[in-house]
Amino acid sequence: MASLALRNLSRNRRRTLLSAGIVALGCALSLVVLGFVERSRALIQESTVQQFGNLQIADPNLLDGRAEGFAYLIDPVRRVQVEELVRAERGVVGTTAQLSLSGLLAVRRTTAVVRAVGVVPENGVLDYNDLVVEGRGLRPGDVGAVLVGRTLAEELGLRPGDFLNLTATTVAGAFNVSPLEVVGIFRFSSAEVERAQVFVPLAFAQLLLATDGVDRVVVRLDRLGRTWAAARAIGARLRAAGLALEVRTWDVLSPFYRGLSAFFDLLFGFLVAAVFVLVFFVVLQILTLSFLERTREVGTIRALGTRRDEVFRLFVAEGLWLGLLGGGVGVLAGLGLSLLFNGVGIPWQPPGTVEAVALGVDLTPAVVGIPWTVSVLSTALSAVLPAYQATRVSVADALRAV
Amino acid sequence: MRQGSFCYVKGAPVLEGRALTKFYTLGKERVRALDRVDFTAVQGDFTVVNGPSGSGKSTLLNLLALIDRPSEGEVLFDGQPTGSLPERALAALRREKIGLVFQTFNLIPVLSAAENVEYPLLLTRTPRAERRERVREVLAEVGLADLARRRPDELSGGQRQRVAVARALVTQPRIVLADEPTANLDSATGTQIMELLRGLNGEHCVTFVVVTHDPAVIPYAERVLTIRDGRIVGEERRGEPRPA
Repeated sequence: MASLALRNLSRNRRRTLLSAGIVALGCALSLVVLGFVERSRALIQESTVQQFGNLQIADPNLLDGRAEGFAYLIDPVRRVQVEELVRAERGVVGTTAQLSLSGLLAVRRTTAVVRAVGVVPENGVLDYNDLVVEGRGLRPGDVGAVLVGRTLAEELGLRPGDFLNLTATTVAGAFNVSPLEVVGIFRFSSAEVERAQVFVPLAFAQLLLATDGVDRVVVRLDRLGRTWAAARAIGARLRAAGLALEVRTWDVLSPFYRGLSAFFDLLFGFLVAAVFVLVFFVVLQILTLSFLERTREVGTIRALGTRRDEVFRLFVAEGLWLGLLGGGVGVLAGLGLSLLFNGVGIPWQPPGTVEAVALGVDLTPAVVGIPWTVSVLSTALSAVLPAYQATRVSVADALRAV
Repeated sequence: MRQGSFCYVKGAPVLEGRALTKFYTLGKERVRALDRVDFTAVQGDFTVVNGPSGSGKSTLLNLLALIDRPSEGEVLFDGQPTGSLPERALAALRREKIGLVFQTFNLIPVLSAAENVEYPLLLTRTPRAERRERVREVLAEVGLADLARRRPDELSGGQRQRVAVARALVTQPRIVLADEPTANLDSATGTQIMELLRGLNGEHCVTFVVVTHDPAVIPYAERVLTIRDGRIVGEERRGEPRPA
């Protein structure tokens, strides 16, 4: 039956090529778009992890933006306890602590509200020094040093070697101000981060807030895929130790990533649905015509004793073969197009970012498998209705058909 | 023409029609295509049902072949009523016990001659080796052993009808029903086909029912039924079986 179904495709080669071509086109386009979406998603994942680390451990009130005062701070004893618990988990590359504060940055006659992130310089986990494009990064021993974003530096006319003041409120509620030297300018994928965030040594942040606490422990893992399992395991360890802290993964910490990722999913879902519907209806028309032309043949094979379900399977198998053929060609065409895109490297600036990236297509098993599966399924499904109709005609009537 | 070569071993009735009546609806009109026709085909018979176009002979054949159901009456196969059988059981009977030959050959164009002949054996799940052997034998029987790989469009009309006959015979059915088997052939080829059928009846006791409006077919019949306006109006036995 499978062989007969395949041979039936050779009856009208032009029609078969047209149908397979439509399936292939849909499959190839889906593959390229999905690959592009996945590449973009990977880039954003990378920059998000670069910003947040894989995991952050902090007071839930801080993480949910409900913190009042500085009750969320983690004192040195609890910090050590947390870091020991975390390091016992498999796949943990290292931990570091941060202390963030909101402050008023003043340079010459200009001020800007910024979020200063206090980091341990050269901690080997997450110190943002790799983002520096001008000047140098933060070094151990630095206290009154700051890294400012490229956008903020342009807006305030800052250069490495310039000085500015940062004002904040201490944990006791007093105003505190301290001078800082701009030692480096950093770039980031998001203009918003470049404008509103600066990096200072943790010691400086603690000095400015007059505390020895930190607000979060950042965890770096050996691979991204381990994030969620590690979060569950570390969360369990914290609860077992009686620590009222919570673990958040990088994707939860970044509303931007979540929004964009949801948009990508929607975009691809819409595309897949559009391709599915297009392929379904075009192939439905073609197969209906093809099966109608063979009504007498259906009568013949039914008269010879072929059951209705066998006729049904024969015709659906024809659709399946068409899908396999079109999907196969589509995958090859999509791979070719993707390699072409990747080779040429067309520059593209994603929305909300400050730097163009090479337009690329990620070729993963899912990127190839999903469009192919959708193409094959939509083609096979489009054969179902005409196949069903073919089985309903009476044998005697079918034999009389011209 | 081959004379005196009918099957002389007669058996039980294979196919019977009792008071077969068939109505068709044409627009608002109800047309009686068959009117209480009684019919019996005994094992080894070579029966020709003769009548003009529109006389009801193809309708009768469709009912006997179990591809259509009578409006009234009953078809019995090997003495068993078929009226209450579900579609799947009728398909099984057609597959295993009935061979069909059509006026327009009705071969599957994408299959070779051998594959067309093999098709019914695929339906009966016959093992591959046995399928190949039986196809080879039956193609040799109809004189097409050398053309087994050709597709229908590479064969003449007579050769196509021989393939159709081989396809009808390959499952070793209890009866072969042929609908106007010579109508699309020239007279010489028609003669060859009828001699082939007659030979198969004489040598292998294959039971045949042939419906035709072609008078040239009648001399090959052992028994001739004449049908007109949906009724059997005459029966003539032209050859007597030889004693066993």
